[in-house]
Amino acid sequence: MRRPITLYGLTFSLPLLVWQILFFVFPLLFLVALSFWTVKNFTMRPDFDTVNWTTMYGRAVFWQAYGTTFALATAASVLTSTLAFPCAYAIAFKLSDSARRWAVFLMVIPFFTSYLVRVYSWQIFLSDNGIINVILGWIGLGPFPLLNTVGATMIGYLTLSFPLVVLLQLFSLVFIERTLIEAAHNLRCGRLRTVFAVVIPSARVGLVIAALFCFILSFGDFVSPVYLGGGEPTTLSILITDTTKSGQQWPRAAVIALTMIGTLMLVAFAAVKFAYKGKTR
Amino acid sequence: MQRDTLVSFEGVVKRFGDFVAVQKLDFEIRKGEFLAIMGSSGCGKTTTLRMLAGLEGPSEGVIRLSGKPINDLPTWSRDTPMVWQSLALFPFLNVRENVEFALKMRGVGKVERRRRAEQWLDRMQITEFAERNISQLSGGQRQRVALARSLVVEPEILLLDEPLSALDAALKVRMQSVLKNLQRETGITFVYVTHSQSEAFSMADRVVIMSRGKIEQIGTPQEIYRTPRTRFVADFLGSSNLFTGKVRSDGQGLALDTPVGQLALAPGATNDIGDTATLTVLDTKTHLSISAPTGSVNVVPVRVIGEEFVGATATLYLETAHGQEIRVQKGHDELADLPLGTGQSLYAWWNPQDSHLVAEA
Repeated sequence: MRRPITLYGLTFSLPLLVWQILFFVFPLLFLVALSFWTVKNFTMRPDFDTVNWTTMYGRAVFWQAYGTTFALATAASVLTSTLAFPCAYAIAFKLSDSARRWAVFLMVIPFFTSYLVRVYSWQIFLSDNGIINVILGWIGLGPFPLLNTVGATMIGYLTLSFPLVVLLQLFSLVFIERTLIEAAHNLRCGRLRTVFAVVIPSARVGLVIAALFCFILSFGDFVSPVYLGGGEPTTLSILITDTTKSGQQWPRAAVIALTMIGTLMLVAFAAVKFAYKGKTR
Repeated sequence: MQRDTLVSFEGVVKRFGDFVAVQKLDFEIRKGEFLAIMGSSGCGKTTTLRMLAGLEGPSEGVIRLSGKPINDLPTWSRDTPMVWQSLALFPFLNVRENVEFALKMRGVGKVERRRRAEQWLDRMQITEFAERNISQLSGGQRQRVALARSLVVEPEILLLDEPLSALDAALKVRMQSVLKNLQRETGITFVYVTHSQSEAFSMADRVVIMSRGKIEQIGTPQEIYRTPRTRFVADFLGSSNLFTGKVRSDGQGLALDTPVGQLALAPGATNDIGDTATLTVLDTKTHLSISAPTGSVNVVPVRVIGEEFVGATATLYLETAHGQEIRVQKGHDELADLPLGTGQSLYAWWNPQDSHLVAEA
């Protein structure tokens, strides 16, 4: 049954509503409008022209960047989820209650420092004269080009989302009923097999949501592909800045931004649908 | 060790830190019996069951299954399937997949798996729900799925941890007969943990009564009901009136000196004079009359303080001059001639043969 909206309820939900309209709906609508404007002699003019959409969608460089970004974000979600899971599993099932609280605290600490700062500090480790290469030099190896590689970008994505993914996975793992795990053991399901047969299916919603968050963060990230990946290969976020810099092409940048938003919405929708598949059959 | 022993507990102790959950358990479970382990919460009954399932390891002692020690065998290497109080069905699998789970873990092929699961779905009358999710089933249906899931591997022994506690009264009674019949037909040894006397006594061949980590009594329901071994058991069953006092000689035989007077003991009582002991007499064997019956030895004057009617039987609550409560259970027709208003003075009496002396105070 739907409850009628009361003045009381409205008063408390109003700030959120105003916020959403002011800072999400309005800018989004503006972005949509902007994507139909035209640019003549480095100045934007309000217009209704589909030229930006046809131009951008007609360019190979756009689709290349799109493919790259999608592939990198997918790889980051898979990699982060895979590396985070043993960590979250250990915190959830192997630690004592007090140790678990400390572990959660440690996972929050990275958020104390700006992501940009953390990425910069990775440069110190990864550059040709960086800590890793110096140490490798002592035993006569290297230097290996570590910075400005896809691998470095991936490290950046991990820096961005690993703690968050661990926390999200952890929250779904701690709510698994312990008797389910005992029941599986009792029915001759060994330890490792129980992880795949019981733990992962039980925590599926949380695990998918965690991976989705990693995808969303990595898909739109600008810092890692630039400062660790060296801007190669071009991602959509880099393409947006390039487009705005070259001849005030804000409308074309809006096309890219809207495409990204649309993609994330589709991915999020598909992920949530997959996560809850079979839950209410 | 007897030939038909399936499980034996030999000096089993379980400690959790400083807390002793189970102290020195020594008992045997016979092949093919329905054994109930009964006690109030915290008495160690569930811990005992979990040790048998391999979910807890004993701190001391040996547990043997078919003669072999199983202390160090992890639960996934034993064939001791358990039915949990919460049932612990896998919510991400449908009914059929739940039932097939144990077979899959044993590497039984797909066709064979399906055939055997089908048999048990049919036996538990849940075939029509085979493709449903667990969340779509009623309590009773879930119960049947849990049983099928554990029994599909046709184990020698099935462990049940208060599986009926979540059901309503009517369904509970129905499931009791389902369980009892299942046990009789399959011949599988059932070990059933419960705090409910009615469940234990209506289903079990033998009952183990536990208190504070120790066994108080093992026996058939009739044995325990008629001759409780300790005061705790008599108290716990709640179906007897208890009189505590000192044993003394009364010339011909033994008697018990209690606050309600000297009580004659059943012939053949062999307690030592001077011992503190408790006389128990079933509330169904305690009689009432308006005047002191002549020739009867154990007569206690009482006052009516309340009554309770359930179906054809009435329970009368009475009080002695010393404030001790006495209960009497009778059919309505047996009470027809008695005035039963509150405060009414009556005499409670019983035959010494119907009483029974337990050692501890």
